[in-house]
Amino acid sequence: MSGIPLGESPLAGNSLGGGNPGPESAPQVVSLGRMAWRRFLRNPFAVAGLIVLLFFVIAALFARFIAPFNPARIDLLAANLPLGSGAHILGTDELGRDIFSRLLYSSQVSLLVGFSVAFVSVFIGTLIGAVSGYFGGLIDTFFMRMVDVFNSVPLLFLNILMLAIFGSSFVLLICILAFTSWMGVARLVRGTFLQLRETQYVEAAKALGTSNWRIITYHMIRNATAPIIVNATLMIGGAILSEAALSFLGLGIQPPQTSWGQMLSNAQQYMLTDPLQAVYPGLCILVVVLAVNFIGDGIQSAIDPRRKVRRPRRRLGR
Amino acid sequence: MREYFLRRLLQSLLVLFLVSLVTFALIHSAPGGPVRIYLTPGLSQEAAKVQAHNLGLDQPIPIQYVRWLGDLLQGNFGYTFKNHIPVAKILWPTVGNTLILMGVAWFLSLIIAIPWGIYNSTREYCLSDQTAAVISYLGFAMPTFWFGILLQELFSLKLNWLPLSDMYTMGQARNILNLLPHLVLPVTVLTLGFLAAYVKYSRSSMLEVLFQDYIRTARAKGMPERRVVFRHALRNALIPIITVLGLDLPILVGGAALTESVFNWPGMGRLFVEMAMAREYSVLMAITLLTAVIVILGNFLADILYAIVDPRVQLAGRGGRSV
Repeated sequence: MSGIPLGESPLAGNSLGGGNPGPESAPQVVSLGRMAWRRFLRNPFAVAGLIVLLFFVIAALFARFIAPFNPARIDLLAANLPLGSGAHILGTDELGRDIFSRLLYSSQVSLLVGFSVAFVSVFIGTLIGAVSGYFGGLIDTFFMRMVDVFNSVPLLFLNILMLAIFGSSFVLLICILAFTSWMGVARLVRGTFLQLRETQYVEAAKALGTSNWRIITYHMIRNATAPIIVNATLMIGGAILSEAALSFLGLGIQPPQTSWGQMLSNAQQYMLTDPLQAVYPGLCILVVVLAVNFIGDGIQSAIDPRRKVRRPRRRLGR
Repeated sequence: MREYFLRRLLQSLLVLFLVSLVTFALIHSAPGGPVRIYLTPGLSQEAAKVQAHNLGLDQPIPIQYVRWLGDLLQGNFGYTFKNHIPVAKILWPTVGNTLILMGVAWFLSLIIAIPWGIYNSTREYCLSDQTAAVISYLGFAMPTFWFGILLQELFSLKLNWLPLSDMYTMGQARNILNLLPHLVLPVTVLTLGFLAAYVKYSRSSMLEVLFQDYIRTARAKGMPERRVVFRHALRNALIPIITVLGLDLPILVGGAALTESVFNWPGMGRLFVEMAMAREYSVLMAITLLTAVIVILGNFLADILYAIVDPRVQLAGRGGRSV
């Protein structure tokens, strides 16, 4: 955070326990969060990503009202309808299920998996990283070796293995994905905490007799929030891709529930007769993940303006 | 150096031991557990008991663990539940097939990505740099299996230029001429994935170096730009690139499960998926451990290599990456 030209205000806020300057700040002082938000809004890709994501979120929330058909309704008389067949806007699959409705309901699954996996794994990762970085010593060694263990098996294999052993349900899928993707955040938070541990405000808090738990959760986590948020955003995209992959392999979301990955594995079987069927679900995944990644990058450069400072220097060098 | 080497070696062995412990615990938490893996199916209860005793499955769990580890070290991965085939017999051929596929894709992406990244670093935000940025955004956001399906639909079903799937055409000699057309599509899919990461990485690694003071000094004394880039900058920029390559070694073995499934490539990843569907735990465990060994070895080699080219690492306590 040191690169932000705000003088002492963020530190002062923290040592008072107030965090980012809130309503008590003088009117001219712009809070860190607001500055970051302004920079974010100036980034066209990030804003486009946000709009697209909001669009999908709304579609998922109101799928029940938007979808013209029940996504699981089988109608063999209306099977394999092509694009633009009356009420079936995108046609139907081999069982006569409406593709557009299935896409809508799948967005619920993808977004729910994406957001909850990101939330849970960031929670686990932050907790482990914070405890390791703060206490160090044996606790740190233990958790870091655990990170190594998880990192030494390809994630997809680990997910498949756990799904094979424990069976697959929606909640279990989220748990398994979260349980196998907290390592990055843990390392990141640990690194930040190792630095913060030596700072004077932590020392001051300790001298005042503040409990370890409160120092971690109240004073230190605030200073690690920025990278955590960026990581969480990027993790949403990763989780959506993982869910799609596992469902594509037949191990994730099971029928009658539907997901984009599952639709793709279905479409692959009928790609000779209906090649378009494979296009839509993949396109949805691509667009959503792109949107989320754009948002993540946007937040990254909004809260870490160092790059902005460096860029003009580079141009001068040419 | 020796001390660093030993410390990293011990650390790697410890992690390997922990992985085996976790894997073993997973077997035992699986429904049916190891009894289902090792016993001949269809035995009467009496006979099963005898066989369980002979195999040591009635022993306390810690003893079973030690025996299981001993078996693994001797190359005995157990037997499949169905048909009772030795796991090693179905596993090893798939490892070779995966290495062919991944090796080609990896090599191809490296010889494209590294020069491209270097070029882009010297001309930031030029057309080629923007193209690379688009490719890396797509590569990170696109489901690889979807890309594979689209390629199949276009190049094998519609245009009929390339085979749809499998490693060899049935009924023809299994030689390289048969193999090559089958390689094109899966290699394209995998290369895009690698390319996305490597172009970005070699570019940023070069940029990191190009703005350091000694480069400015080299320019200031009138050295030609070409020499500055290739002589002075590239050497230091290659260090982190080499490390990443070492870290990516595991992808060579485990990263292709999806691509292999889409293209029906008889590799280890597809075997893993198939065996997961069939709940053949012994094969799953064997592949998990095998990949873990390769990953840990890759990390170890990357760290050692890094320490050789950049001696500061040894002094900084534990290897830079884990901090």
